[in-house]
Amino acid sequence: MNRILRLFAVTLIAVVLVEVGYAIPSFSRKYKTSCSTCHYAAPMLNGFGKAFKNNGYRYPAGTDPEMTKEEPVSLGSEGYKKVWPEAIWPSDIPGTSPLSIWGIGRINYAAMNDVKWEFEFPHEVEILYAGTIGENFSFFGELEFENEDNQNEIMYPFALQYDWSPGLHIRAGMVHADPTPNHLKLTRNHYNIASFRSRNRWRFRDEQIGLEVWGAGNGSGERGGYTYRAGVVNGQGINDMNKEKDIYGKVTYKIGGLGETGGTAGAESQTSEFFIDNSVTVGGFFYKGTASRAGFNDEDFTIFGGDVDYWYDRFIVNGALMFMNSGMPGIPERKSMVYYLQGNHVIYPWLIGLIRYEWEDADTDQDAVKPVNAFIPGVTVMARANVKLVLEFKMFLDDVNKKNDTFTLQMNFGL
Amino acid sequence: MNRIKIVVSISLLFLLSQPLFAGDIKGKVKAKGVKHSGDAVVYIEKIDGKTFDVPKDHAKMDQKNLTFIPHVLPVLAGTTVDYLNSDEVLHNVFSPETCVDKFNLGTWPKGQIRSYTFKKSGCIPVMLCNVHPEMEAYVIVLETPYHGVTAKDGTYEIKDVLPGKYELKIWHEKLKGASVVVEVPEHGEVVVNFDIKR
Repeated sequence: MNRILRLFAVTLIAVVLVEVGYAIPSFSRKYKTSCSTCHYAAPMLNGFGKAFKNNGYRYPAGTDPEMTKEEPVSLGSEGYKKVWPEAIWPSDIPGTSPLSIWGIGRINYAAMNDVKWEFEFPHEVEILYAGTIGENFSFFGELEFENEDNQNEIMYPFALQYDWSPGLHIRAGMVHADPTPNHLKLTRNHYNIASFRSRNRWRFRDEQIGLEVWGAGNGSGERGGYTYRAGVVNGQGINDMNKEKDIYGKVTYKIGGLGETGGTAGAESQTSEFFIDNSVTVGGFFYKGTASRAGFNDEDFTIFGGDVDYWYDRFIVNGALMFMNSGMPGIPERKSMVYYLQGNHVIYPWLIGLIRYEWEDADTDQDAVKPVNAFIPGVTVMARANVKLVLEFKMFLDDVNKKNDTFTLQMNFGL
Repeated sequence: MNRIKIVVSISLLFLLSQPLFAGDIKGKVKAKGVKHSGDAVVYIEKIDGKTFDVPKDHAKMDQKNLTFIPHVLPVLAGTTVDYLNSDEVLHNVFSPETCVDKFNLGTWPKGQIRSYTFKKSGCIPVMLCNVHPEMEAYVIVLETPYHGVTAKDGTYEIKDVLPGKYELKIWHEKLKGASVVVEVPEHGEVVVNFDIKR
């Protein structure tokens, strides 16, 4: 009985704490196209992948029906639109299973651990499902099993989305509160902005459940464009841990490059590669929330920040800066600053080198808390379009963590 | 009277535009080990001492629904091929083959065309799109305009071939078949069937 309770507790905790990946091989089947149509290196999206997402997981400019190679199953003919409200509005579902599998295994090295080397296979197995329902709904979800110190964590978030137009989507379920989500991540190590915790253990990385309004549109000459999102979430867990709801928002503007919602106008070039999208994107974000923790007072915190993402030919340079103010009754306010700067270079389309510098100062007003900073050099090898190897080193530069270096060889595959 | 002259003139022009003596080659290709017998090319590679004018009209290869159409395109050496992008996504055309100087046409929007002239006969370059790696097509560059592409049921036809004795070859991207010596009659047709396999 204790074992069952323990498993239940671990499962509940996992539902709150585990974040998700986004790489959906079922889209490859649906459109009979390679992963690299949408991904720079899965799960990181390229310019077209972002446009596909911004169209509600559909091809741009209303061409999704003709690009779909697997015929959907009709749940009502078009003529039933004329019958409504005397009938259910017609729809369809994917013609074949929308399920995919994403497997992750690791060889880990941690300099200061008793067991320095270990084989962690699997680290994670994700059963992913995603697709469209008729003209205006889409869905995205997963059932994830993850090893965390020999405990099995399970999570099962999903989102149902109403796609009014590329400029207006309404999403319920797992939403994009994290300003640096997984579909922009190339590394095994999470962005420090996503992993940085508030005093009551809240962090962006944990899945956020709520409602979101978001959209995107192309810029001048159908190049670049804007994205926005604003949402309200529990903040912690599927059942909220406090009576306060958290709110967040992010806006971006992209100058040059593929339009945020796709299209080919003005995109003439002498060169092309799936990983090239010459552009600069700037963004700003905020999050205002309340974090609860057993035995502690509630923490009210506010986050604001910005990011820059510069793509030129085979290079990408991006960075983000985040400030957090945290207030708790009876103790001084805490101000934090976190940032990173990262560069990628595509040596070959299957071989990408990267280096990231990250800085985290948990309390900028207190010298007693020393900042954490580290270098993360790494190499990503796309052995196949759906098989990825990541060789990554995390080298701490600050005195406290100096010897806590880690090294990982991560293997991912998608089916 | 004038009307009769016009009709006679047009008829003469039509007759002169056609070879006075020409036969057709037709037949069926049976492909083993693939889903269908289409996209094989049956051709006369060259005729000693005979050259042909390059057609003024460009050959065409479309990029539609993430597919090159047609999948195989035989052309006379010197022919220019127009590549049309019919999709609402960016496409590219390049070839890694040295016989076409590893050309890369860049990328271009829907509805626009970029072209390449295939000069070297005997070359069978693969066409690829570096945005969509699953896309693939072939251009077969020949010294004669006598070629036919098989339909999915394996049937092919090469029309208006100068009479004579030739080596008839077959090309398929995955399968191989033996060439056949064929004698094309002055009128009528000759039937040549092929079996191709790995």
